[in-house]
Amino acid sequence: MKGDIRLLALLTDGYGTRGGIARYNQDLFGALADGGASALILPRLGDISGLTLPPGLEQAPSIFGRFRYFLRALWAGWRHRPFDVVFCGHIYMATLGWMVARMLGARFWLQAHGAEVNEAPGRLTRRAVEAADLVTVVSRATRRALLEWADLAPERVRVLPDTVRDTFVPGPPSEALRSKWSLGAGPILLTVGRLAGSERYKGHEQIFAALPALREKFPGLVHVVAGEGDDRARLEARALELVGDRNAVRFVGFVAEEALPDLYRTADLFVMPSANEGFGIVYLEAAACGLRVVGGVGGGSGDAIGEQIGMRVEPNDREALAQAIERLLFQGRINPEAIEPYRRKNFAITARRLLARLMAHPRRMKDAA
Amino acid sequence: MNERMAARGPDGSGDWVSSDGRVAFTHRRLAIIDLSPRGAQPMLSADNAIAITFNGEIYNYQELRAELEQKGHVFRTETDTEVLLQLYVDRGPAMVEALRGMFAFALWDARSRSLLLARDSLGIKPLYYADDGWTLRFASQAKALLAGGAVSREPDPAGIVGFHLFGSVPEPFTVWRSIRALPAGTTLTVDATGPHAPVPYYQVAASLQRRATEPACDPAAARAKLRAAVHESVRYHLVADVPVAVFLSAGLDSGALLGTMAELGVRDITAVTLAFEEFRGTPNDEAPLAADVAARYGARHIVHTVDRAEFERDLPAIVEAMDLPTIDGVNTWFVAKAAREAGIKVALSGLGADECFGGYPSFADLPRAVRFLRPFHFMPGVGALLRGALSTGIRLGAGWHPKAAGLFQYGGDWAGAYLLRRAVYMPWELGSLLEPDLAAEGMRRLGPVGRIGAQLKAGRPLGAFDRVSALETALYMRNQLLRDADWAGMAHSIEIRVPYVDPFFLAALPPGEILDAVDAKAAVADIPSPPLPESIRHRAKTGFTTPVGQWLHAAAGMREDVSLSTASRAWARHVWRAGWPEMALT
Repeated sequence: MKGDIRLLALLTDGYGTRGGIARYNQDLFGALADGGASALILPRLGDISGLTLPPGLEQAPSIFGRFRYFLRALWAGWRHRPFDVVFCGHIYMATLGWMVARMLGARFWLQAHGAEVNEAPGRLTRRAVEAADLVTVVSRATRRALLEWADLAPERVRVLPDTVRDTFVPGPPSEALRSKWSLGAGPILLTVGRLAGSERYKGHEQIFAALPALREKFPGLVHVVAGEGDDRARLEARALELVGDRNAVRFVGFVAEEALPDLYRTADLFVMPSANEGFGIVYLEAAACGLRVVGGVGGGSGDAIGEQIGMRVEPNDREALAQAIERLLFQGRINPEAIEPYRRKNFAITARRLLARLMAHPRRMKDAA
Repeated sequence: MNERMAARGPDGSGDWVSSDGRVAFTHRRLAIIDLSPRGAQPMLSADNAIAITFNGEIYNYQELRAELEQKGHVFRTETDTEVLLQLYVDRGPAMVEALRGMFAFALWDARSRSLLLARDSLGIKPLYYADDGWTLRFASQAKALLAGGAVSREPDPAGIVGFHLFGSVPEPFTVWRSIRALPAGTTLTVDATGPHAPVPYYQVAASLQRRATEPACDPAAARAKLRAAVHESVRYHLVADVPVAVFLSAGLDSGALLGTMAELGVRDITAVTLAFEEFRGTPNDEAPLAADVAARYGARHIVHTVDRAEFERDLPAIVEAMDLPTIDGVNTWFVAKAAREAGIKVALSGLGADECFGGYPSFADLPRAVRFLRPFHFMPGVGALLRGALSTGIRLGAGWHPKAAGLFQYGGDWAGAYLLRRAVYMPWELGSLLEPDLAAEGMRRLGPVGRIGAQLKAGRPLGAFDRVSALETALYMRNQLLRDADWAGMAHSIEIRVPYVDPFFLAALPPGEILDAVDAKAAVADIPSPPLPESIRHRAKTGFTTPVGQWLHAAAGMREDVSLSTASRAWARHVWRAGWPEMALT
């Protein structure tokens, strides 16, 4: 990749914020910067105070308000021109991204993450999406959903899946964690994910419902729920209601990324029967730490959960969920090579190749600049 | 996938998997050149770096081979397949420009870790691919891709609307969203980032434009040029290690092929003619005149007569063999069936002559429509308004064909007039045939008028004859006739060769305006020596020469004396409901 490629990145979540989209963006721009590209990042969220960004990357202060962000994107794009590529990190901002790309005569790269493409957007956004020179999506399911309503040449929509960071590797279980949360000596089911009212599709309640029968077969079995969100109180109440034992489900709150590998290594099975995961990076992280996985049919998790990693079940089929858990609980650790394609080095190679491919695309006619 | 294509290649079957297991080819062989096992496919280069799976024939392979041998290439077989391998080594993807033939192939280059898919200039051989973002699958049949079980069957509104408008599915669409046709005259490269956009190497309009810039010639010289071009094309299309037969109708085009074959010294030619019991003794019966032509050139003549019982018996198999929905191909099905029963493997067909010699009524109708209706094209909304009024009149029993309502809306420009001429159903009728949302989405994605107009882009405007020729060649012939010839022929393991469908032949013809001036269609009769009999020259064109529409109407308890256009509409509905029931929502 040539060293002088310059991107303008319109991101919802930049450096200095957390969550799946933020991490994807950070991994992507880290990889592109490692390959010699430079980028000016304009985030809606993200505070880089105290952070050191990879060389070549520059992030402006975040602006959340839509109108102010819109004006700033136009102004910053114009002021800091030229750019070779305008990257837009979310379908919701596609119209803005398209306008800025046209204004600058730059190629237009759009990113889709999952649920946002399940329904066709308004006419203007759809037109902006269809004007993209390259659309990257995290899974084949997202690609399929996008192509259902977008009149895009299929070859312009490429899959660039989430990546697993290199800290997620197999290791010994953490006795410290077991004792910290008084998990006992029984088997541990683990779920990691946001506890948001808008994300009830993740399937926590389905696991709670399956637990009583499972605990009869596996006394001492504990379900550890990692994550935070506005739905936590309700879920805690539902857990008690469905399982009837306060010790059976442990809500451990938000777990920082640095502490996650130990948590995965300590568990016996990762379970999240989600019906609508865009990709499901947590499945891969669990697998990278050697953990087998039970996921849900629906969304893009089929890409992450291959046969070597685990299995997917109908989220509302309690019996199937219980059977899957029973079947995989004591099957032993998986070979982490199964997730090798998702390691950062491969992600970085693919990301740079896609940028090179985009650069081979004819530059847009300049409307200005 | 391989099994689904067994009829395409009953003489052999082969598989190849790359050393890293990431690329796999499978192939069915219909052995025609170098019948020995050395011609088996997939074929590898001597150093195993390049693998190919190839469907079709390269007619100039011997010349290309001689050129390559002069450059030091060493050959192990007598096949055209190996010529493709070595030509790729020599020229890379640009090799396709040198190929005279019909082809669809995939070539894996382990050195660059890239796959090249290529399809012939005019779209004789089909090539479909499905890209799910992880895996690219390709095949000569869309249904073979589905047979593997990994490709989604989700319907594509653009392809479905396209079928109802045109009677065939316009490329690159199919009726399944996941499957696309590689457009004729393009190559597609797949590398580590996936498939790239198809790259065109041949465009009909541009080719006709180049031809139009050639110096003018007098009528005698034009006829001589026409004769030489046909002779040369037929000679190339005879390259085979098995006998080559001919499909003979009572028309000029196939008769000229037979006459030229005889003139070129081909012996023991078999000519196969299709007749219908219902037409016996009527002007539509082609058998007697075809027998005259066969006798004139000393060919063994086989006449296969189809009756309603055979048609009804074969109907389910016909619909099953259709790779994509189409309103044509029935004639080819039966003539290919007859050829197979006669032990024939390869046959020439006169397909394509009407497109290059101006044999369709559209060559007169379109320029006339555009000339007289042009003003309406520049009056936005007026055409639509008139269409609404005319539709009402037609509904109230004005006795016109439903398409006539669109005369003022569509007739004033070339693309619209062509749609009007060729459409089975018009856009405003789709809402009553298909689910309205699907029809609207299909129209949006297909953009039929724009898609037709794109076939006329040639740098500089084409003359009227060349415009119609470009549209008929790049649309009707490609999406309908050639695709039908492929599925209906291959269903009986018959390779149909089309000497009038050849970019080198088209380039060798005089410019379109001169072809028009010398009445090329009539001049075809004088191409062979001796020329075609007088009885053939003066036979009126009979149009839709199967009683299929009538049979279908009769089966539905409707009157049988229907027009050609009405029959096509009924047949389209039958095909759709019988062959694609899961998508036939209304």
